[in-house]
Amino acid sequence: MRDKTHAEQVERWAIFCRENPLEFKKRVKPLIDSQIIIARRFFKNLSKTEEGREILKRLKQK
Amino acid sequence: MERAVDDKTILDKFVEDFVKIVERHVRYIICSGFVSIAHGRSRGTEDIDMIIEDISLGNFILLHEDLVREGFVCVQSENPKLIYGDYLKSGASVRYVIDEEGFFPPEMEIKIAKDELDREQIDSRKKFEMTGLDVYFSSIEGNIAFKEELLKSKKDLEDAKHLRLIYQDKLKENEIDRIKEKIRRLRLNER
Repeated sequence: MRDKTHAEQVERWAIFCRENPLEFKKRVKPLIDSQIIIARRFFKNLSKTEEGREILKRLKQK
Repeated sequence: MERAVDDKTILDKFVEDFVKIVERHVRYIICSGFVSIAHGRSRGTEDIDMIIEDISLGNFILLHEDLVREGFVCVQSENPKLIYGDYLKSGASVRYVIDEEGFFPPEMEIKIAKDELDREQIDSRKKFEMTGLDVYFSSIEGNIAFKEELLKSKKDLEDAKHLRLIYQDKLKENEIDRIKEKIRRLRLNER
């Protein structure tokens, strides 16, 4: 939920990044990588079937 | 500021590999979401925004061929003349991905600089030590101005807030205001 606590988290995390410039990337890497890994896995699975390839084609035309 | 190579994300490596090739041919900037992400913003994205200087067809063909040789492919077409004429010079963007079966993320979304604002951003491009990346970005002030004045989605406003907090004592507010004024004049009046 994008409520007040979410805004506070955005702020808290930005301050952590500012105060820990050598540390933040290590912390955020699994999150950023996992998003790409999950998306790639999903698209690869789609590409295995005819129907999936059609969906991929539609997604790329959007 | 030394950071371990292993800390680099999939997006970091993709961007560094890509810009190394582009820089041989034309000046560029990385702008928008990845600027905030490279500064630690904890959110995902599947496309990275790049603006390049205006470029001749001949030089674009060389750039495209170099990208293809190094393992990238353009989603829109394999034909550099078509990519250049039908997309880039018409004001549209094109997307390059790593060449493998299917077009999988991440994607580099490229546009040619279209006006004074884009060219100004390229002229004032910067590398930011804090990101640990050998990549030219548009200025922090420029990013904040675009996100607060033009883009304005919840995600964009949070990106801007993140950058404001990171650089809170270093930001030139008058520069942000100046860019916002230009955005109003050049981008919002045209809508």
